[in-house]
Amino acid sequence: MKRLVSGNEAIFQGAIRVGANYFAGYPISPTSEILQQAALYSEENPGFRFLQAEDEIAAAIATISASLAGAKAFTATSGPGFTLMQEALGWGHVVEAPCVFVNSMRVGPSTGMPTQPAQSDLLQVKAGTAGDVYPLAFYPNSVEECFRLTATAFNAAEESLSPVILLADAFLSHLYELVDLEGSTLHIVPRTKDPLGSGQRLFTGAAHDKMGNVKTSDPVNYREWLRELKDRHDRVAERYPFFEYLPCKNSETLLIAFGMTSRVVLALKDRFSIFRPIRIYPVLEKELEEVSQSYRHIIVVEGNDGQYASWVECALCQKVMKVSCLGGGFKLKWIQSQIEDGLKGVGR
Amino acid sequence: MDRSYKELLKLRRFPHTWCPGCGIGAVLKNVAMVMKELGWNYKNTVAVSGIGCSGRMSGYMNLDALHTPHGRPLTAAEAIKTVRSDLNVMVLSGDGDLASIGGNHLLHTSRRNPDITVFCNDNEIYGLTGGQAGPTTPQGTKTLTSPRGEHHSPLRLGRILTQQAPYFYARTTVYHLNHFKTCIREALLWKGFSFVDIISDCIELNGRRLGFKTAHQMFKWFDERFHIVEGERDQLQEDELGIAKAVVKEVPRPAEKEEVKPEIPMEGLKPFTLEELERFDGQEGRPIYMAYQGKVYDLSASPLFQGEKRMRCHLGGKDLTKDLDIAPHGEDLIFKFPLVGKME
Ligand SMILES: Cc1ncc(C[n+]2csc(CCOP(=O)(O)OP(=O)(O)O)c2C)c(N)n1
Ligand code: SF4
Repeated sequence: MKRLVSGNEAIFQGAIRVGANYFAGYPISPTSEILQQAALYSEENPGFRFLQAEDEIAAAIATISASLAGAKAFTATSGPGFTLMQEALGWGHVVEAPCVFVNSMRVGPSTGMPTQPAQSDLLQVKAGTAGDVYPLAFYPNSVEECFRLTATAFNAAEESLSPVILLADAFLSHLYELVDLEGSTLHIVPRTKDPLGSGQRLFTGAAHDKMGNVKTSDPVNYREWLRELKDRHDRVAERYPFFEYLPCKNSETLLIAFGMTSRVVLALKDRFSIFRPIRIYPVLEKELEEVSQSYRHIIVVEGNDGQYASWVECALCQKVMKVSCLGGGFKLKWIQSQIEDGLKGVGR
Repeated sequence: MDRSYKELLKLRRFPHTWCPGCGIGAVLKNVAMVMKELGWNYKNTVAVSGIGCSGRMSGYMNLDALHTPHGRPLTAAEAIKTVRSDLNVMVLSGDGDLASIGGNHLLHTSRRNPDITVFCNDNEIYGLTGGQAGPTTPQGTKTLTSPRGEHHSPLRLGRILTQQAPYFYARTTVYHLNHFKTCIREALLWKGFSFVDIISDCIELNGRRLGFKTAHQMFKWFDERFHIVEGERDQLQEDELGIAKAVVKEVPRPAEKEEVKPEIPMEGLKPFTLEELERFDGQEGRPIYMAYQGKVYDLSASPLFQGEKRMRCHLGGKDLTKDLDIAPHGEDLIFKFPLVGKME
């Protein structure tokens, strides 16, 4: 049966439906509701474990450790908390812990505008931690998709043996839509890793070989290890090349938008073609290349100062136009005028 | 001598990375010996370490072991124990890792009291990074970052960890071997959070600067600084080696009281209109009256109306029924005040 559900609730329910049984978190807008739901759920379901941690560092470490202990674990936060989680995220990649980190974005840097939506943590997803990592990240734009992509994130985590990022934004977290959660079916990838307590393995953040022997001054071993990690993530990413493409016959302009900005620019679908990446990272290079060929102009509309645009430019080896919706402002009229101005500038 | 404890060590990874004479080896060995006695092994035990020379310990244990980012082993151990209550979970790490960068987790994991045991190799220095002052470095000690002597007094782990029951805090040294083993055994068997503060030596990067030529000279120094106290204790002095522990006495839960609402007869009460009520607003020395569910109360004595004569949310001289129904406090708050009339 359809009922009104918020983005945050859909994320939580999606996690429960794929078998999540551990949550650790620290209060922060706009994901506190996920923490609260987890607290209540754990009271009613003893098999589900919950930790309100003393900070996001602990929340992240607990999520990864619970995963290694055998749980399907997740955490939820926003930009400032995500920053505190970065060291743990790097560790999670090295010790190969399948788990899900939800980051619902608000305006930064620092405390910024805590209740206003933003999309400004994309670079943090890819490059927030020390060293090279290849995280998978998905970004829904509806409540229904929050539910489904949470499940996808858990599945991709099991397959890639790594923390997978589910992005959202303050708008989406608090958006209510009519959806039928109970009636939806989800694909579930079961646990892939033997839990702690079943061997003599060392799970270490230090560089190591396949036997778990620490190898902190062996470049050959390191290179092999990193290549394998990258290959595995690429293989899993290929399974989830999610995007939405709405071509508009007479348009020479392609708008690229995702999450809440894609909801706003949807109103322009009769004038411009729209491409919405759902898998945010790794960047959908092949798909972007194919689609962009038919257009003279490419405009990335996003809630930050050109983060995704810079990835598109790299992927296409060309400059693109940027519309930066900053400080929580996502008005269609304003976006439209920015697009018009931009196109005038290049002589449409 | 029984050497069977060696099956608990990853001997294939030896020689280990520690300096000759370092106290960490003694910690690893003695923990393994007691584990062997207790029948703890890879089938039922997980070891967790942070970063540091001490943090290398779990990697030499022949078990599933976790080597976390710097400062985070307590959180990891707690999460593992939460998910797998059937496993014995122990932490082996250093004072810098557990008490400085991991200090916040020390406060909160100990407060939540998971059933884990922590062995802190307390060498009073940052070993791995070359000999900087740590959280437990005694005041006046010269280190790389306190070239004229450490200015600040050290963290007193024994006090922090014995503030609220239940707790288990043991202090011992790598020199007082029998005592050391007793502490390990009792800690491993303790139900709840147990912490063993093991005074240990970093001969290379602390001892030599202090003028000691051998590890053994440092051990003798430990013997001068500390003495063993026997028997049950709930606190330890800073120069005492021993075990301080406390369990919480089960406090019987008070039987839930049935809520009795005072029954007050309405007849005979002075009737008020809303306009009349509004005059009793606390201004210019007038009393403060408020209505609730048809009754008028005198709230002049309420501390919330002193000073500015105004509560955070409610103003005097008003009907409060709606406000109170959504207020964070219960309505019983208002029944405490004198009843002076009823609403018309
Ligand atoms: C986030 C982070 N900061 C700093 C370091 C560098 N570091 C490695 S070990 C260490 C100190 C460890 O001290 P302690 O726990 O006392 O262990 P010891 O080496 O003395 O046994 C530091 C600061 C690090 N690895 N990670
Ligand atoms: S530096 Fe100090 S703590 Fe580290 S192994 Fe050497 S003696 Fe031990």
